[in-house]
Amino acid sequence: MKQVSEILYQDKKLGFFIYLIVEAVMFATLFATYIIFTPPSEGVQPDEVYELKTVILTSVFLLSSSGTLLVAESGLKHWNRMKIWLGLGLTLLLGSLFMGFEVHEFYKYASEGHTITVNNFLSSFYVLVGLHASHVAFGLAWMILLMLQFKQQKIPESLFIEKHKIFNYYWHFVDAIWVMIILIVYAPYLF
Amino acid sequence: MNIPFIGEVPSDIVVAWIISILLGGFLFSWVTKAGKWQVIMKYAQTTHHRKIGVMYLLLAVVFFIRGGIDALFIRTQLAVPENDFWVFQSQKYNEVFTTHGTIMIFFVAMPLLIGLMNVALPLQIGANDLAFPYLNAVSFWLFAAGGVIFNMAFFFNAAPNAGWTMYTPLATDTFTTEPNNNYYILGVQVSGLGTIFTAINMIVTIIRLRAPGMKLSRMPLFSWSALITSVLILVAFPVLTIALLLLMFDRLYGTNFFMGEVGDPVYWQHLFWIFGHPEVYIIVLPAFGIFSDIISNFSTKRVYGYTSMVAALALIGLLGFMVWAHHMFTVGLGSMANTFFAITTMLIAVPTGIKVFNWLFTMRKGIVKIRTPMLFALGFIPTFVIGGVTGVMLAVAAADYQYHDSYFVVAHFHYTIIGGTILGSFAGIYYWFPKMTGKMLNEKLGKWHFWLFLIGFHLTFMPQHFAGLNGMPRRVYTYMWEDHIFLLNFVSTIGAFLMGASMLFFIWNIYYTCRFTGGAAADPWNGRTLEWTVGSPAPEHPFEPMPRIDSLDAYWYAKINKKQLPEAEDVRPSPIAVETFQPVLLAGVIGIMSIGFIYGWLWMQIVGAGASLAFFVIRSLTDERKRVYEREEEL
Repeated sequence: MKQVSEILYQDKKLGFFIYLIVEAVMFATLFATYIIFTPPSEGVQPDEVYELKTVILTSVFLLSSSGTLLVAESGLKHWNRMKIWLGLGLTLLLGSLFMGFEVHEFYKYASEGHTITVNNFLSSFYVLVGLHASHVAFGLAWMILLMLQFKQQKIPESLFIEKHKIFNYYWHFVDAIWVMIILIVYAPYLF
Repeated sequence: MNIPFIGEVPSDIVVAWIISILLGGFLFSWVTKAGKWQVIMKYAQTTHHRKIGVMYLLLAVVFFIRGGIDALFIRTQLAVPENDFWVFQSQKYNEVFTTHGTIMIFFVAMPLLIGLMNVALPLQIGANDLAFPYLNAVSFWLFAAGGVIFNMAFFFNAAPNAGWTMYTPLATDTFTTEPNNNYYILGVQVSGLGTIFTAINMIVTIIRLRAPGMKLSRMPLFSWSALITSVLILVAFPVLTIALLLLMFDRLYGTNFFMGEVGDPVYWQHLFWIFGHPEVYIIVLPAFGIFSDIISNFSTKRVYGYTSMVAALALIGLLGFMVWAHHMFTVGLGSMANTFFAITTMLIAVPTGIKVFNWLFTMRKGIVKIRTPMLFALGFIPTFVIGGVTGVMLAVAAADYQYHDSYFVVAHFHYTIIGGTILGSFAGIYYWFPKMTGKMLNEKLGKWHFWLFLIGFHLTFMPQHFAGLNGMPRRVYTYMWEDHIFLLNFVSTIGAFLMGASMLFFIWNIYYTCRFTGGAAADPWNGRTLEWTVGSPAPEHPFEPMPRIDSLDAYWYAKINKKQLPEAEDVRPSPIAVETFQPVLLAGVIGIMSIGFIYGWLWMQIVGAGASLAFFVIRSLTDERKRVYEREEEL
């Protein structure tokens, strides 16, 4: 007989995976919107807006944060508190750096006059990439909450592992969306 | 009317204010006098599937009354040519048909079916609750918040007015500048989130919480329909979420996705119908499931062609995603596109036909008992077939140029939605009422309800086919004597009032039953499925001990063989129930945030959003799994 926590965790995992499908459909709709309106018939073109350097920096930070999260995951397996701290801490750091450069990118574009209302290419760009950025921001807050609960040690180990794993799925998913953003949003106009 | 301090307000709104204040005062004093506050507080905290289901149904009936009154206003205005009824002309008329449509689809059809799923689905498959009871409460309260937001609009003289489809560019801020349509966006958005969470909950429940031996191939058809509908929701509703998000950016933040030279109004139509057409299958498949169970039960026979019934459900669900552009035949997508979508649309008639014949064959040579749920099922079959036939007519793209936007379309979709979803929901309510309340609805009143409703329904909508063929466009508030559609419209209005009268019998039946009748047996209909093995009303932990299932309709065969269902060993743990105010409070702050967006009050948006996010933290810190897992670790 399997343990209660194991079975309830499997329920939650399935539910969360289905939720990620829902998110994927939402992002797919936004990708479609972006593809339909880009390149725009008038106004500023994507290759005049995008800046290779920021895209590379944000990508490096976010994609490597999925790797550092693996450290925490392996720490979960053998309950190595040090590894969990290290993995979460590094992921938080890299995620924050991504967030910083993302804000910088939006700020820079906007200050150059490329705001959301200029044309539909920019509108769909900001809604799509903005929704992704808000997912990262949400994930960062989630991670901080997770670390807080880890530090307090008031919840049972099995519950912490469950929460941590669900968070991992979320973070990897957000990362996968970023790969799609690189491929669909940036790459065709940067290279 | 000119009201001091407030200004010019249409008189219907003033009447609504007065009625609401009187009704609110009456309800408040009644609840206080009857000492029912405790019950209300209990329900506000509950995460139990039956109680949440009952709340869904109650709220759906309230919204049904509101949407029905809107319909009566529409029919009264259209009763005679060149009519001038009260205030319901031009823009006011636009508001009335917009609220009628939106309420009936999002706040009546959806919660009626989700409510019935909540009540019956776990019981049918041998689950002690839905997989995520807390999430279920969140779903319900999000739906309630969405419904309240949407219904508030009218009371603030800001009812949405661009039709339930919110077609752009009319729905953009260039043409409808007031906050009216923001109410639509936020109301539907919030309740839509609730629907998505419900779908997740249903799927996980069905996949993981079935009783031992209850294979998917032994599951009752209502549960099957709930599964397939939930899958449709997963794909359709996120598209709506994004469509509404983009429209919100157009209206609030000055983008032009659906407007002007750079934007594309037709893109809205695509997004809306990619959601909207699966949506009509979302609301009709569960009704099919209800009818399958009821027809089998009251024919005392196993459902005919079980496998083909499941296959037909799945096929309808799949084809449902390939037909959206049949709403757009006249947009000018080209003959290739029109041909493709015409053919896929006609294809849907095949699985639907399979279902109709299977229902008929289920009754053939059965011992048919005509009780109220069965009456609704019998009324459904011919009614829905008529709606299906006009559907195939509309699918002929060339002919659709004639039918498009006429009353023929109105007649068609009322035949399918009322004939399918609403009759199905009524049947389901009569059928499962013992499981919700422990009482049986009165048969005699039920028959009055049925016959008045069915006769009123056909009187209302049959003439609309001909009005439409005679050229009457939908969404117009008047017509001329020389249009020769007076008689058709007049009959239609009489029918609408008959349907209204039938609802009085229904409401009276519920009141009468709850007030004056005694307890129902566990198995009052001599049922076939698992929900009839547990007490009426269904207890908090219905399946203790857990039965083991070895066939379709296992309970029926156990009864025939005069045996008990065998008990299962090593039963999986049940989901954890909690009592908490968090879901209702969360819905409250999301409501506050929504008002902030509707009126563009930034401070309110920030307060609402901050409070909503805080609930994520609170939720994480008060996780009910904590105590259960702790106990496990102590062992």
